[in-house]
Amino acid sequence: MSFLFPAFLAGALAVAIPIVLHFARREAAPRLPFSDIRFLQRVPLMQARRRRIREWLLLALRIAALLLLALAFARPFFDATGLAGRPVTIVAVDRSFSMSLPGRFEQARGAARAAIAEAPPGDLVGLVTFDERARVVAEPAADRAAAVAALARAAIGFGATRYGAALAAAARSIGSREGRIVVVTDLQRGGWEAAGAGSVPPGVAVRTVDVGAAAPNLAVTALEIGPAGAAAVVVNAGEQPRSSTVALRVDGAGVDSAAVTLAPGATTVRFDAPLPPAGVLEAAVDDPGGLPADDRRYHLLDRPAPLVIAFVTAGGRSAAGAFYLERALLAAGDDSPFVVRPLEPAGISPTALEGVAAVLLLESAGLGRSARGQLAAYVEAGGGLLIAAGPRLDPALVAEFVGTGSTSTAPAPGGDGALSWSVTATRHPLFAAFDGLAGTLGQVRFRQAVRVDGAGGRVLAAFSDGAPALVERTAGRGRVLVFASDLNNEWNDFPRQPAFVPFVHEVVRYLGRQRRPARERLIAAAPAGVERRPGVVIEPASGRPLVLNVDPRESDPARLTADEFLARIRESAAPGGGAASEAVDAAGREAEQRYWWYLLLAVAVVLVAESWLGRGAA
Amino acid sequence: MATAPRANELRYLEPAVIGRIGSLELRARTIVEGFLIGLHRSPYQGFSVEFSEYRQYMPGDDTSLIDWKLYARTDRHYVKKFEEETNLDCHLLLDVSGSMGYGSAGVTKQEYGTYLAASLAYLMNRQRDAVGLLAFDEQVVRHLPASARPGHLRRVLLTLDALAPGRGSDVSKPLNRLAEALTRRGLVVLISDLLDEPEHVVRGLRHLRFRGADVIVFQLLDRAELTFPFERPARFRDLETDAEVAAVPPHVREHYLQELRALLALYRRELRLAGIDYCLVDTSQPLDLALLAYLSARSRRH
Repeated sequence: MSFLFPAFLAGALAVAIPIVLHFARREAAPRLPFSDIRFLQRVPLMQARRRRIREWLLLALRIAALLLLALAFARPFFDATGLAGRPVTIVAVDRSFSMSLPGRFEQARGAARAAIAEAPPGDLVGLVTFDERARVVAEPAADRAAAVAALARAAIGFGATRYGAALAAAARSIGSREGRIVVVTDLQRGGWEAAGAGSVPPGVAVRTVDVGAAAPNLAVTALEIGPAGAAAVVVNAGEQPRSSTVALRVDGAGVDSAAVTLAPGATTVRFDAPLPPAGVLEAAVDDPGGLPADDRRYHLLDRPAPLVIAFVTAGGRSAAGAFYLERALLAAGDDSPFVVRPLEPAGISPTALEGVAAVLLLESAGLGRSARGQLAAYVEAGGGLLIAAGPRLDPALVAEFVGTGSTSTAPAPGGDGALSWSVTATRHPLFAAFDGLAGTLGQVRFRQAVRVDGAGGRVLAAFSDGAPALVERTAGRGRVLVFASDLNNEWNDFPRQPAFVPFVHEVVRYLGRQRRPARERLIAAAPAGVERRPGVVIEPASGRPLVLNVDPRESDPARLTADEFLARIRESAAPGGGAASEAVDAAGREAEQRYWWYLLLAVAVVLVAESWLGRGAA
Repeated sequence: MATAPRANELRYLEPAVIGRIGSLELRARTIVEGFLIGLHRSPYQGFSVEFSEYRQYMPGDDTSLIDWKLYARTDRHYVKKFEEETNLDCHLLLDVSGSMGYGSAGVTKQEYGTYLAASLAYLMNRQRDAVGLLAFDEQVVRHLPASARPGHLRRVLLTLDALAPGRGSDVSKPLNRLAEALTRRGLVVLISDLLDEPEHVVRGLRHLRFRGADVIVFQLLDRAELTFPFERPARFRDLETDAEVAAVPPHVREHYLQELRALLALYRRELRLAGIDYCLVDTSQPLDLALLAYLSARSRRH
């Protein structure tokens, strides 16, 4: 057992207090001569004996309470090894789905068993299994049977390889001791994060045991629905073309299939079969001998829940200031992917903004300091805000949201039709849907605009005189877009241009992206509480269906050499950082075990017992 | 009735006052004289004396002693003269066991018992009774056979004065020994705290009664023994065995008193059934109550 704050153990010396008091009180009882103690010896003897037993019990309880209290404050935890100072060997076994090729995981088990057996005799041996996440399934111990038993229980998952996680878990388990890490893996190149490198403490040696070899594999890496139907991207990881069949199913029932010859690399397989409006679409490639986990990919056909868009005008829905915006958002009628919610400036509150994907700020009348603060907090928390200038918007508000250094000037009339605008950030996601048609935006003629200082954000579009027309600024997890002119057909003719509706749709989609509920996630991002396997799950928090797919990067068979692997590893801390690492490690262990809580509970129980016994003795 | 002088004289009967007087003989005399002064008009006057002769009345004689019948026949005043009896053997049995050494307020039970025995011896000697003394703890410590010879009282008093507290107690042993030694009718006065096995004590006393002796039992108990007034936890040490017991008085008082009351009730009941006079004496109380008890018992025998 170790202690996070061993100094508190000195508090155990306080047990001397009840002991001294106990004996002092005993000695204080005077001796009195008496003629005949027979009568005292009969009943009182029994009472005295009981009392003596009770006094000893009370003393024991008081001592126990103080000891437990000191122990609780010292925050004990069990070092799994219990044998601080002995070197540690951690065997880390790759359980990512790339290990699911026939016989590969059994080979890994055998190699790991050998590594456990071959660990130096004095070493404590522990076992870590890893994919994206690493778990210490057997804490370092002198008894290697625990590691062997944990190895027998280990199974392949559906995650992707992440060496960094494995090394971090192994390093935590080793702590500040000397040690070695044996990584049993197929040495996939994709196991290192793009910017990633593993780190281990000084004095820890790493070696790899290669249990992999490049093997032909087909994987469905994407499944999308386009206007023409479904399209699946199938990757042939081999060097030779392969013939295979790609099947398309909805809720498990086949709707289409295609026999294809897959050249090395990615091939898009398109299906033109009509698809139902709801269900789980699945594309499966026939890949005997390959990795089973990446042969299927899932997509949710159900229409996504409409995005809630709130616009702030002084008069709410009845105000004319939001007329064109509202028409544009609801252009699809009942099938509109948006729901519009009017919001009065005075009614802006966290409750009113609950579930709102984006807020469109069109008028500033009545927008007090509190409401502006609420909007700022909303953006910080991931919300999207569009501020459209206009005759009823205070230009100073623009400066407030675009940030320090931004200024706004009074409207500068450019003359009728004298001012147009063009996109300056053509690769911005906002304009991706225009697909080369962003030039249509240039047909808009502006009669009036505000001058926005673009230094506080990113200028996405500019007026023909060079002044920023559309500025984006990120704040916290959210985004603010400032449109330097009006969106209600007053300062320009934008609402009457064909680009207006797609522009508005893309703007609110872009702003609401952060708050759109996820419909598809990788296994690594599976919400807590659901089974981490590909397919459809119900997200516990929202109750909505969600499809989980494997990480397509794991299907890439590209491999590293052992030297390349080791070259990515660096020492995690300079010499001398071991103590800090040990402290962090100890704090982590203690936080996991939390024995202090049980000790305090025991103190409470002991004190109640002491109180009860003491009351009886009084 | 001379109540004022009685109160004045009776202060000498207070155990604490008696304790400050020099010799035991002087103490006994003080007790008895003081006691008798208080009783000079009591109905106990004239006991244990027998008519001896007539003598002509002289001025100053007590007029109550004039024989009025003789005056009627002879027309002369004669007063009766009396001669005290000497035909009674009185045996004083004094317990000097360790428990008798207990005293919570100045005078121990043994000191009180010694004063009582000395006073009784003095009183008996005045009445020409033969007085014997038997002091005992678990053994007979001293034994002076009953005698009315001149100087015997002094021997009794000297013996009493020299008695030291003993160890354990066994009341039945001296009782049985005395019962075996009794050869003629006598009076046995047992002065003890009777903190012994009551069955043994009662059996011994019955033995004495069986042998024809009149028995008076003075059970001396200290005020603290009667009330157990202690409050603070203490370790009580037995004066006879040195054994100790720790007790919290408020917890044990009720049971102690209950046990004591049961013991006293047993003695009272058993001794009454055996025809034995039993007198419980609180050693914080004046000695005259004990002497009165003796005289009351003595008078019933004449």
